[in-house]
Amino acid sequence: MKRLGKRDEISYAKWGYIFILPFFIAFFIFQLIPMISTFYYSFFEYYRSGLTIIGPNPVGLENYQALFQSDFPKYMGNTVIMWLLGFIPQIIISLVLAAWFTDVRLRIHGKQFFKAVIYMPNLIMASAFAMLFFALFSPNGPVNAFLVSSGISAEPFRFLTSVWGARGLVGLMNFLMWFGNTTILLMAAVMGISPALFEAAELDGCSSTQTFFKITLPMIRPILVYVLITSMIGGLQMFDVPQILTNGKGTPDRTTETVIMFLNNHLYSKNFGMAGAISVILFIICAILCLVVYFVLNPEDEKAQRRRKRGKELKKKQAARAGAAEGRA
Amino acid sequence: MEKRTSYGRTILAYVVLIILAFLCLFFFYILIINATRNHAQIQQGFSFLPGKSFWVNLHNVMNDANIPVMSGIKNSLIVSGAAAILATYFSSLTAYGLYAYDFKLKRPAFIFIMLILVMPTQVSALGFVRLVTGMGMINTLWPLFLPSIAAPAVFYFMYSYMQSTLPLDLVEAARIDGSSEFRTFNRIVLPIMKPAIAVQAIFTFVTTWNNFFVPALIISDNSKKTMPILIAALRSADFMKFDMGKVYMIILIAILPIIIVYLILSRYIIAGVTLGGVKE
Amino acid sequence: MAGITFKNVVKTYDNGVTVIPDLNMEIKDKEFVVLVGPSGCGKSTTLRMIAGLEGISSGDLYIGDTRMNAVAPKDRDIAMVFQNYALYPHMTVYKNMAFALTLKKVPKDEIDRKVHEAAEILGLEEYLDRKPKALSGGQRQRVALGRAMVRNPSVFLLDEPLSNLDAKLRTEMRSQISKLHKQLETTFVYVTHDQTEAMTMGDRICVMKDGIIQQFDTPQKLYNEPCNLFVAGFIGSPQMNFADAVVEKTDQGYELVFGETRVPTQREELAPYVGRTVVLGIRPEHLRAGEEYIRGGNTLTAEVDLSEMMGSETYLYLNYAGSRFIAKLPGTVIAPAGSKVTLALDVDRIHVFDKETEKSILN
Repeated sequence: MKRLGKRDEISYAKWGYIFILPFFIAFFIFQLIPMISTFYYSFFEYYRSGLTIIGPNPVGLENYQALFQSDFPKYMGNTVIMWLLGFIPQIIISLVLAAWFTDVRLRIHGKQFFKAVIYMPNLIMASAFAMLFFALFSPNGPVNAFLVSSGISAEPFRFLTSVWGARGLVGLMNFLMWFGNTTILLMAAVMGISPALFEAAELDGCSSTQTFFKITLPMIRPILVYVLITSMIGGLQMFDVPQILTNGKGTPDRTTETVIMFLNNHLYSKNFGMAGAISVILFIICAILCLVVYFVLNPEDEKAQRRRKRGKELKKKQAARAGAAEGRA
Repeated sequence: MEKRTSYGRTILAYVVLIILAFLCLFFFYILIINATRNHAQIQQGFSFLPGKSFWVNLHNVMNDANIPVMSGIKNSLIVSGAAAILATYFSSLTAYGLYAYDFKLKRPAFIFIMLILVMPTQVSALGFVRLVTGMGMINTLWPLFLPSIAAPAVFYFMYSYMQSTLPLDLVEAARIDGSSEFRTFNRIVLPIMKPAIAVQAIFTFVTTWNNFFVPALIISDNSKKTMPILIAALRSADFMKFDMGKVYMIILIAILPIIIVYLILSRYIIAGVTLGGVKE
Repeated sequence: MAGITFKNVVKTYDNGVTVIPDLNMEIKDKEFVVLVGPSGCGKSTTLRMIAGLEGISSGDLYIGDTRMNAVAPKDRDIAMVFQNYALYPHMTVYKNMAFALTLKKVPKDEIDRKVHEAAEILGLEEYLDRKPKALSGGQRQRVALGRAMVRNPSVFLLDEPLSNLDAKLRTEMRSQISKLHKQLETTFVYVTHDQTEAMTMGDRICVMKDGIIQQFDTPQKLYNEPCNLFVAGFIGSPQMNFADAVVEKTDQGYELVFGETRVPTQREELAPYVGRTVVLGIRPEHLRAGEEYIRGGNTLTAEVDLSEMMGSETYLYLNYAGSRFIAKLPGTVIAPAGSKVTLALDVDRIHVFDKETEKSILN
């Protein structure tokens, strides 16, 4: 007879550990150790000057001080501005589309087609998309050709040398890449609301607009928070689009330079102390946002579990009742 | 009255939808058109009709020694394919370990993964590059897909899917039938998870295919470069001297595989977005 | 060959909750034993300990003569049928039934023979190529049974196997499982919360509550001589009627007094209870309406709350002496709500319980 474990009892607990082990090993090697060393270097003077490596010399919080005296706050501001330029239209359009797609009074045909089309940019390689935009919006690209030939503008508009032109392009691309995704998420949330609620609202004389503000919006609040927070985290990571669009220079005058582009520059120039300090600040912001995501996702989890439990008990009760009825018959 | 307002709103909805669809499609339309035109034609201005230089552009791209597109595609395929396999298999395994077994560290492990669910990899990029250098894996493809073994977002998707579709009775039935725990996972659980695995494999593949930040830090050798790095190289080159037909063609090549997969599987991919509800 | 013995078995979960405090039970070879009780009584845990799906915190479990505490489920020579059938959704009926044998590396032709044998008995032959999704509830149930059968186990474990079926199918499957037991001549352990299933199927029934065996006996014994208030209330449908009664000493023996009714009895067990309150129990079917019964005395007259016509019998819901009574009368009885009826107690069929210990005094 085969014995399981040394204990005098069958236990499958060890399999739980075995199954989750690869994940945690990979996590520790490729994420945790790098993270710790990143944090560690943020307290050192450690950079390359010409061909010589300076440090590592412990300098305490000097890197952080230097960071806040540098253009870092400006880059943070750039990141937030460009994120908002994309996110505000994204959330508005997505809400409107989600409301329209789920409104039974509007009979929109080809929903599947529209969903497929608006989601597509989400899958496109951001760097290729940025390259495409760069080509399209360059002074002798097709957009300017159209602007000039149609008489809207007398001469080609130099998008990438105008602060708001460049930022606007980044915002537009972020919007295009994400509004389809958000629309689909919000739609699912709206469709998760019990149809009886909408019917009741209709009987109570709610107009479509009232239903949207009084029923739909409050009911999908958790998913809205989730979209907001994950989008903020995504926004903080903004890199590919402005990097390619401005060739890593954040032109004009570093008004499109994002935090991650800044980090990237320090990584390339091997200024590990500063790169570490940027990473730590990013980590702190993301950790707060992660906590919010956790609490958005998990109360629902527990609620779902309770619901399932209750359902099971109900089922049992029903079965018991059926059994009793049968016994009587 | 009610009917008329709905009618008006329907028209408004169609107008907005068509504009948005146009926005989404139009850039790709220009891309495809310009990929078929030669440099001179492109410089002359925009045209709605395709040109005749598709094969010339393709030929030029393939034969440019500075931009190794073929090896770029190959590298991207290797990295994305391996990442998709590793992420889905090990995330399913982890989700199963936390779903089907009871052990002391179960809850802490779950909370831990949930906490790092949306933590960006950029925050550990510095340490990652140094670690990879220390391990002698710098300038190789390994560090681009090995970390996919720990993919919290994929894990969360798999875990949710198991909660809704995998009754534990099934696992116990297999246990009584004499199936070992690994066998149960591979032979019973994985087949049941197939739809979720397919969706997540696609998402992981696409994300990795498009990934730029980390590969750009790890890879410097031309023959190891993935597509996004090649595109970036295109941008850093002196743009004005470039054959624009070639530029459009490379962009097209970089995004075409994803578009084709998407055209075939859009229904499932869109369903997958809502199932997991997790944005990369 | 394969009886099952529990010796001082304790089950405590990791979170410190003890669901089975001390279980001693002996199930004989080839016996059909039903574990019954309300949800959370430990019956499923007991079954799962036999299966090896649940560890045993202390004590010993034997199947046959082998101590099984640390033996893997597959080596226990058991098979189990689950409440929701637990059929592998991606395998055909045939593969579902063959899976265990395939793992045991049984030769292909032998697997084939065994699967077809079981399929024939269960009437599943035409469904062998289908997947579980394409089957009805009753068919899935039979596949689950078939999967257990092909392994020729010495113990069959069934965990509420009928609770997901509708009432008609359930009756049908009940007799099919009983038939199967006779055919296979193996030990069956069957868990249910439904006392009707327990009464109709079990050779012996183990009534559990809070992880403790209340009574482990034949259906007749449980019905006629329930050992405590819980068993008396749990077995039988509708439930036994209970009323507080005072024991009084008379010349002939004792009388149980409640309301206007005085129930005479000669049972000497009541001697210590004279002057005290006990719980009197009488089953609904032992309240009789016919003239011939009423003439004999021991009657109660009560107002009808509600009458339910079931066709072959009628249930009267009554209020009497501060307690609710249900009477189950044969045939159709016209007794509108608010009317008064007089019923006779069958004195030989009364049960008396200690009010504190809830134990039966007479048995």
